[in-house]
Order: sequence, then structure tokens, then C-alpha cells
Amino acid sequence: MIVGSQKPIEEIWNMVKDFKKVLVFGCNTCVAICHAGGEKEAETIAALIRMKASQEGKQMTVNHLGVMRHCEPEYFEPVIDEVKKYDLVLSTACGVGVNFLSDRTGTVPVYPGINTSFYGAVEAPGVFKELCAGCGDCIVHMTGGICPVARCAKTLMNGPCGGTNKGKCEISKDVDCAWYLIVERMTKLGTLDKLSAIIPPRNWSTARDGGPRRISMEHIREFEEKEAAKTETAGGKR
Amino acid sequence: MAPEDTCTAEPYRAYGAELKETRPYSPCRAACPAHTDVEAYVGLIAQGKYTEAFEVITSVNPIASVCSMICHHPCEQSCRRCGVDEPLAVRHLKRFAIEKSKDYRRAKRKLVKKTKGKSVGIIGSGPSGLTAARDLADLGYSVTLYEKHPVLGGMLAAAIPPYRLPREVLKEDIDDVISKGVEVKTNFEIGRDAKLDDLAKKHDAVLVAIGLSQSRSLNIPGVDGPGVLLAIPYLEDVAFGRKPDLGKSVLVIGGGNVAMDVARSARRLGVEKVEMVCLENEQEIPAWKWEVDEAVEEAIKINYRWGPKAVVRENGKVVGLEVTKVLSVFDANKRFAPTFDTNTTTVLKAETIIITIGQMSNLAFLKDSPVKVDERGRVEWNPATQMSSAKNVFVAGEVVTGPGSAIAAVANGRRAALAMHLYIQGETIEGRLPAQEKEKIAQMPSEVVEKISKQPRMKIKHLAPEVRVKTMDHFEMGYSEAEALEEAGRCRGCGGGAVVDQKKCMACLTCMRVCPYGAPVVTSVSEIRPEYCQACGLCAPECPAQAISMVSYDVREIRNTLPTIIGKVDADRQEPVIAALMCTHHAKVIGVPNNVKAIPVHCTSRIDILDMLKAFESGADGVAIIRCGSGTCKYRDIEPRVNARVKRVQDLLGMLKIESNRLEILSATSDNGGNPYSAICADFSERVKKLGLRARK
Repeated sequence: MIVGSQKPIEEIWNMVKDFKKVLVFGCNTCVAICHAGGEKEAETIAALIRMKASQEGKQMTVNHLGVMRHCEPEYFEPVIDEVKKYDLVLSTACGVGVNFLSDRTGTVPVYPGINTSFYGAVEAPGVFKELCAGCGDCIVHMTGGICPVARCAKTLMNGPCGGTNKGKCEISKDVDCAWYLIVERMTKLGTLDKLSAIIPPRNWSTARDGGPRRISMEHIREFEEKEAAKTETAGGKR
Repeated sequence: MAPEDTCTAEPYRAYGAELKETRPYSPCRAACPAHTDVEAYVGLIAQGKYTEAFEVITSVNPIASVCSMICHHPCEQSCRRCGVDEPLAVRHLKRFAIEKSKDYRRAKRKLVKKTKGKSVGIIGSGPSGLTAARDLADLGYSVTLYEKHPVLGGMLAAAIPPYRLPREVLKEDIDDVISKGVEVKTNFEIGRDAKLDDLAKKHDAVLVAIGLSQSRSLNIPGVDGPGVLLAIPYLEDVAFGRKPDLGKSVLVIGGGNVAMDVARSARRLGVEKVEMVCLENEQEIPAWKWEVDEAVEEAIKINYRWGPKAVVRENGKVVGLEVTKVLSVFDANKRFAPTFDTNTTTVLKAETIIITIGQMSNLAFLKDSPVKVDERGRVEWNPATQMSSAKNVFVAGEVVTGPGSAIAAVANGRRAALAMHLYIQGETIEGRLPAQEKEKIAQMPSEVVEKISKQPRMKIKHLAPEVRVKTMDHFEMGYSEAEALEEAGRCRGCGGGAVVDQKKCMACLTCMRVCPYGAPVVTSVSEIRPEYCQACGLCAPECPAQAISMVSYDVREIRNTLPTIIGKVDADRQEPVIAALMCTHHAKVIGVPNNVKAIPVHCTSRIDILDMLKAFESGADGVAIIRCGSGTCKYRDIEPRVNARVKRVQDLLGMLKIESNRLEILSATSDNGGNPYSAICADFSERVKKLGLRARK
């Protein structure tokens, strides 16, 4: 899932202070699970903004709302008219949600209430850990299921480097050395010999380096377009 | 009597009432024939909301005061606390709430507008008749209540001895009903003062709710003549203060609850030697166990397993009863079929014998009426419509259901009222009356039972047996407020717990991780199993999607009401405004210094971080979260979660440059016997004062 963390109230305040009517809009999927931007946190941020406004002597209406997901229009369409009544939408969805919603609110700006951090897992309740970088060309079958792109500080394809230190990375004693983990794991799996093969340099065009990415499932898209056309000829509107 | 003004009776609905109808009932509620929402009213009592509790009780039961004294409380027998320690003392709590609401109920008595333009006649003013009268009056019908005795109440007034049911208690219930504008015709005996047909013509619908007002007798030698009495005429004498001459010793034939009333009232009439004789043994005796125990305490001897053979008379005067040894009472199919050892007989000595072996209705008035009576002498009726064989004549209560409890008659009276309403409005009745059996939540699983701390039932005090047998006065002492609050706190809130909004839940597992009782199961969404849920409310404030609500209370209530409770904050105040969100569950008193705004909560588990923020947002200078005294929380694993919430809010306050120590978590002092909040609130207030009063621009 996508993991995020709330922005400090001071930063949020600087974004919202000049607006009269603010909606803090929560997203109840990934960022709710990590307690950063679900409906609950949206209400919390709304309360903090109101308190700050009161401290600063500003007259402001701050409400909150939440929908299941900001990244699919069907989820927020039922409330979009309500959303558009505000001067500002502070979205506590991930960056995906902020962008997606921003295109659909007409003249109402959408600002981010949280920082989108990484793709991660719930290591323990309240602890979230980055495990994938979304590079577009997965190779973890060659590395014992452990991703060197996301988990090695240098994104080394053939590690470890000299900075490995008793299983930890030189950047911090709190960060595991991904390549140490890979060796441990592959030893356990009995596949350590595979590591003797050199992983060739990556083609990073599948990742961010290739520019913004888009995947279009042709069979679904074509079907949907045909259906839409049918409805239009029938005089209806989807 | 009824005040001049009128009202349209709107039934009171407790929070969650609609939702509860869609879910399995708590076992107490399912067991109550009238389906009184016990969980709701006990919860209200625990919060000190006594009049709201009264509304919940009386919404389904107009003779609630009566039931608070005499109900056999099947709710208690089915209480899920039985599996933990002892059942909740529901009846005593009901009595407490009703007694606390005396002024309230009197003040709200009003005529109900007769909006329907139709009239109903109700024959008999016992539990079912009174109930139907109340419900039909509330619906806007003109109601006439016909009663053969000089006072209303049926058997409640004419047969139940005052030591069990003080008449002023009964009067409160009756006054509630008649204040709605019910016309009362007492000393009116159907068949003697009017024919049923006449009433059926006069009214749009008639209800026959005459109960079982005749005692059955025995066909044994010597039974006729002085010294042998029947239970009902005897009890009527007792009820109306006449003093029947019983001689020096009384023998009561029968082992039911009415027999107990007969024997125990005989003791109170000054008879030293009162004995009972019944066919059954100690396990089989039909009277409630507490009735038997209290009778024995009052020095009443029960002769078990003897059957009456003949009344023994000397010179016409009763000297005893010859009895035969009983071998068995029931056959293999548990049907009543007593067998006797005719060779073993004895004589039980007594100067008066009172026969209490059952009752029947006097149906003489039905002769030549269209209401059919079956070959066994019972009124023919359709339980699905409450109708007799005559078109606008309805029936309710013991006359058709046979002997039962007052609360069962109330439930039947309610059904009949609804049926009459549907009939008069020209609607179909069949299939429209509420189901009498309701689905209830399952037994508490053993792994949950193990997690529930034991807390003994708050005992009720009785007058000592030697004192109470000297008068007809009521002998059961009610709860004090402290006792009632403590007892109400024992309720596990079955059926009032957490519900997940499936449209909002994204199966994040938070509730499953939080719940101390293992109630949530998360698959595609979370489902909180009601048989596990203890309604502590710990999960709802933790849900990141705000997908959890509670059946028995509004999870947003605290933050919605806080601005009003705190009110306008005076800029020139000298003392800090403190919001104290306090667990009142075991505290027994609610009282704090003047500058402290008390917000009672059922448990600190229910306090959301949003509630704490709202208190500051509303202008509080300091916020105290006060948990109950150490070791008294009736839930488990609450503290760490609440501590974490407080810590989070303290961090957030820091971000707003508000001193984090304006928010503190405190413990009620439970050992000084005084107000457990005063001192800690005062101390906290002093600490906040030193931090200064919060300025607002």
C-alpha cells in the first residue's frame, strides 16, 4: 500500500490560512490504514486548523469529509458538488489522490495535507516500512524476494558494498543492509549459487527515468468505449 | 387529575432503537414478554439519566411501577452475567429508575388528543386491559375502561396482597393511563350492567380482558361449609382491608405463586400457624424459588407431596385436612398426572383451609353472544389477530392465554391494541402483529467469560421476617442511588456494542488488534460478533475510516455536546475553564468544583482524540481525562490505549504551541468515601491556572 505521513500543522496552516472555507478531504484506503489521511485524520486536521485559526483570530469554516478512494472517480463523484462549494480542498489522500481530484474540482484548488512517503507494509501496528520502489521491472526472483532497488540505499544490483556493517547499512544502524538480507535469505532457500551470476545494468526507462507512466489495458478500454458509444446513441448519458 | 392541556403522544425512542430492531436482541430483552429494552434503560441509569430510563421502560409497559415490584423478571434469569457470577438485578434497577422519575411522570400527565373519532371499550382493567387502554389512547382513540371492582387494576388491585404491591405504586401506573383521557366505569360488571353485544354496538371495537377471576375448588368430602375458603374471595378481602376470620391455624392447598400470596398474607393477618400442602416436591413446586424461600423465612411450613383427600370436620367445624401421599406428579411425557399411595394418609390440622389450586374466567356473560366458547369452556380466539369469533370483539390476557405473568399480559394487551387499531382502520391484521419470539444474541463464549471480572450483585434488603409478618406493608427496601449506580454498572451492555459500516470499512485490522475480547473478524470487511462484544467502545475511536458506530450510544455525542457544555468562555474569567471527561461508571457521585465542566462518560475507552481536541477548540483552558479508581474498570486493556490517545493529543497541542500539560489523565480516588473527583479536579485546576488562561484573538 501507499504510505504517507501528516504534514506539520504549521506547514498546513501556511497553505490554508488565506481561505475562508476549507474542506479537509480524507481517503479511506491506503492512507487510512497508515493512520495518516483517512476520514478520522481528516477530522483531526480540520480540528487543528480551526484551533489554529482561532489562535490567529481568523474567521474560517473548516469541515471534513471522507470517501473510500480518491483515485477512482466513482468514489468521490457522489460528493463532488459538495466538495466544489469550498474555497480550498485539503486532500489527505496520497499524491495520486491529490492530483486526480485536482483535475476534477473546477476552480477549487486541491492542496496536499500529507506527504506521500513510499510503498510499504505494516511491519507491526503503527510501523510502516518501504519495500518496493515501483521501478517497473521486478527482479526479486533473483534476489531471494528482497528488493535491492527499494531496500539498498545505493540501489545496487550486485551487492553488498563496502558500507555493509554486521547486517546494517552504513547510512544508519537502524537500516538493514538489503544485500546482507539477500545473502541470508538465499542461503536459507539453498539458492545462494544463483548470486554468482552478475545482474546486468538496469534499463531505468521503466521507472521514473522514462517519464510519467501510463498503462492502458486495451481489452478493457476498447470494451468500455464501445459500451459508452452504445449508450450515447441510445440518447442516454453514463 | 388530568390537566387541561392535551398532547399528541409521541413515543420516546432511545438512541439506537431503530438499529436494534434489525439485530438480535440482548437475551434479557428477548426473554421479556414485552421486549423491554433492558440494556438501554440500565445503561441510562448508569449515566444518571433516570427519566430517560423511565421512558424506555414505559414505552412498552404502562404498568412498569407494578412490574418493578412484582415481576418474575425472566430478563434476570437469562442475563449473560449468570455465566460470570450473578445476574443483573434488573427489577430492582427498574424500581429505582421509576421511583426517581415520580415527579417527572406526574408532570407529564396530559390528555391525549382524540384524533381518530372512533371509540373502543375495554372490559377489565388488569395488566392487559390497562395496557391496551394506554396504547389505544396514545393512538388517539376514545377509550372506555369497564371494571367490575370499585377500583382499577384487576387482580393487581383486588388480589395481590399489599405487602407485595403497595397500592400507591399501582395508582401511579393507573394515573398515567387515565390521565390520557380514558373514561373509567368502575363497579361495572359485564353481563350484569350491560350485555357484551351492547358494548360491541356502542364502540368500534371491544376488548375482553377479564382475566381469571374465579378460583377453582376441589371436589372432596367436607369441602362445603364454613372454614373452607377459596383463594380469590379471600385475597379480595385482604386487598380491600377486610379481615377474614381465619382462626388460629391456616392450611393452604396449592404450591403456586397465588398460594404463596395466600399463605403469606395469612401470616400477616396474625395467624401464627400457617402451613401449605402441595402435590409437588421441592424441585417441582411451581412457585418461584424466592417466594418459597421468603415464605419459609416467615415460618410457613410447606408439606410437600401430599394430595387432599377430605376436609375433616368436628361438629361442622374444620379441624384439618386428610391427605394422601403422592408418588409422582408428572408422567413420562411431563404431563400433569399425579399418582398416589392410597395406603399412606395423614391429617394436617388447621382451623381454616384455603384452596388455591388454580383460576378460571367467569364467562357467563358470553351466553347468547356471538363470541364462541369451546367445549372446554375457553373463549375461541385467533392468536394471529387477537380476535374472538365475533367481528369487533378482541381478546387479550389470561382469559385466553391462561395463567401467566403480569408482563406477559402486558405484551398480549399491546398486541391486542395494535390489532384493534388495524381493524378499525380497515387494515389487515394477520401478519402485522410483532413476532412474540425474537432472535437473541448467542451465549457468551467461554474465552470471553474468562476475561470478565467478577462483581457481586448488589444485595437488596428485606425487613426481617419477624418484623414484616406483623403488617401488610411492603417489605423490600429499594436501592440507594449509590447502590443503583453500582449495580447498573455491572451490565455488560449485550447487544449495544459495535457495528461496522461496511461501506466505509477497508479491512485495515485496527479493530481486530484493539479489541480486548476478540470480537472483530476481518475478512473482506470487519464484522464485530455481538456475542463477543462487551460494548466497551474501545474500537470506535481507533477506526481510521470512522466506520465503527455503537448501537447503544452516539460515538460523536461527546464532541457534539462539548461546545454547549463548556458554553461561552468569559474573557475576564478568574478561574480556568476545565473540561473533565470522567468515567462515572463506578464513581456513584457526579460533583465537581464550579469551574469544572463535567462530561460523564461510560468509560474512558469511549473518549476519542477528537473529543479532547474539541474541548480545547471550545475554549477549555485544561482538559482532564479521569478514569475510574484503580482496579475498578469493568473492561480490560483500556488504560494503554487511552494513554496513547492522550499522548497523541499532547503532541498535537505542542504543534499548536499549547502546553501539553493542559491535558492530563487522572484517576478518580476511590478510597476516601467522598466525592472521588473534587480533589483531583481542584488540584488540576490549580496546575492549569499556573499555566495561565488561554487567550483567544
